[in-house]
Amino acid sequence: MATKSRYPTGVRPLLAEETARRRRIELRFVDALAGAGFSEVVLPIIDYVEPYGALVEPATAKQSYRFVDREGDLIAIRSDFTPMLARALAPSIAPEELPLRLFYRGDVIRVEASRLGANRELFQIGAEIIGDDSIDADVAMLRLAADLVRAPRNEPNAEPTIVYNDVSIAAALIAQAGAVCEALAAKRMTAGVPAALQTIVAKLISGEATLNDVAPFAPEAAARLSAIEEAVAGDAVFTLHLDDIEDSGYYTGLRFRVYAGSGRTKVAQGGRYDNLYERFGQRAAAIGFAFTIDDLD
Amino acid sequence: MRIAIPKGRLQERALSVFADAGYDIPSETDLKTRKLVFDRGGIEWIFVKDGDVPVYVEHGAADAGIAGLDQILEHECTAYQPVEFPFGHCRMMLIAAPGAPPLTKVATKYPRITRQFLDQRGVHAEIVPLSGSVELAAVLNLTSHVVDLVETGETVRIHKLEMQEVVAEISPRLIVGKNFYRTEPKTVRELIAKIEEAARVSS
Repeated sequence: MATKSRYPTGVRPLLAEETARRRRIELRFVDALAGAGFSEVVLPIIDYVEPYGALVEPATAKQSYRFVDREGDLIAIRSDFTPMLARALAPSIAPEELPLRLFYRGDVIRVEASRLGANRELFQIGAEIIGDDSIDADVAMLRLAADLVRAPRNEPNAEPTIVYNDVSIAAALIAQAGAVCEALAAKRMTAGVPAALQTIVAKLISGEATLNDVAPFAPEAAARLSAIEEAVAGDAVFTLHLDDIEDSGYYTGLRFRVYAGSGRTKVAQGGRYDNLYERFGQRAAAIGFAFTIDDLD
Repeated sequence: MRIAIPKGRLQERALSVFADAGYDIPSETDLKTRKLVFDRGGIEWIFVKDGDVPVYVEHGAADAGIAGLDQILEHECTAYQPVEFPFGHCRMMLIAAPGAPPLTKVATKYPRITRQFLDQRGVHAEIVPLSGSVELAAVLNLTSHVVDLVETGETVRIHKLEMQEVVAEISPRLIVGKNFYRTEPKTVRELIAKIEEAARVSS
């Protein structure tokens, strides 16, 4: 088919009206982030694949566009800001400068199976706190995400929802028996879950599990979630979802997703990744989130 | 809540599960009309081709539905599968004409699953996507092999083909969209509990 009248799958130009809409939201976000003490950084649109090495799982690698450049090196178009920020910062951060509060904005290009027919070029604005492993930082980022999604949206029927969990809970159970992963992913008890774990897995699947139930398996995560739960208790936006396990990727602790609008669209996601900077040569705890701006109503 | 019911092979069983679970399902008379959407008991029921149920649920156009594992896998649907039903079990098989040469060409309605199956075995073969009567491809020598669902094996026997290998064990499941699951936990838990009970009783 002639390519004269169309664009590659998943990309399109935004004309005046849509651009104005995007810029309005962008400005609001940037103002709010600057107001909360975050400074902007700019990251390149392409980077070598090699430095990210084992960090990138095969599934994630499949989502990115890659090509060989003129020097013969394998290059990927930006598909996730977070590892790029870690690679940019890790060699130069001095421990006394921490914590850092940074934000970024720009496009990522990503082919997601679950976004069939949807955009592949996504305009994102994300924020991170680097060098702070405290529960206060967790709570601050959750609250910031809630403020951003809620700000001027006067839709009484479409309250956003922020679902949060800690990925180390499922990781601890899966480390004991791989079959737990399958059961939690399907939300159904499957053969192979050992007897010792059946009670907790059944409770997680049915949604009855409490922090006390998971504490014996992941005491630290349970304690942190309990403190977070207490801190955000007054805000109905937040829901603790202990059975949420998927795509932990580089996340190590708190994990959250933001849903908004009548279509219950996922507009943002984030979490804690305390081991990521270490892979680029510097130890630093970090937590962040990224909003996909065009998914906001 | 919007529930997607697959038309065809699973439709009747799917509806009776919801009826057994106490839901007010569309009646026979409703179904004879050409409508595709029915409002009943506070639920919007939609009737779509079986292979489209995972697509509707994946994208949140339906909150939940009933779909065979074949269609779930073929569409790489990431929705949760909280209930596996005791009915409608079958197998996806690699089928060949007797005395067929080594696998180089295979016809199927499930190109994605077939590709994965071949890749796992390190077999390099051309896939010919068809939309129905796949066995005919082997009978008429369009391809030496086919990958298709086998329920009783009758079609395979009639055409004097032979079953070579199990590609996957297939069963229908209740599927629930991830966004729906996370944002409406109470509604979802109630739905799953009722359907689980109905499935258990019917087994």
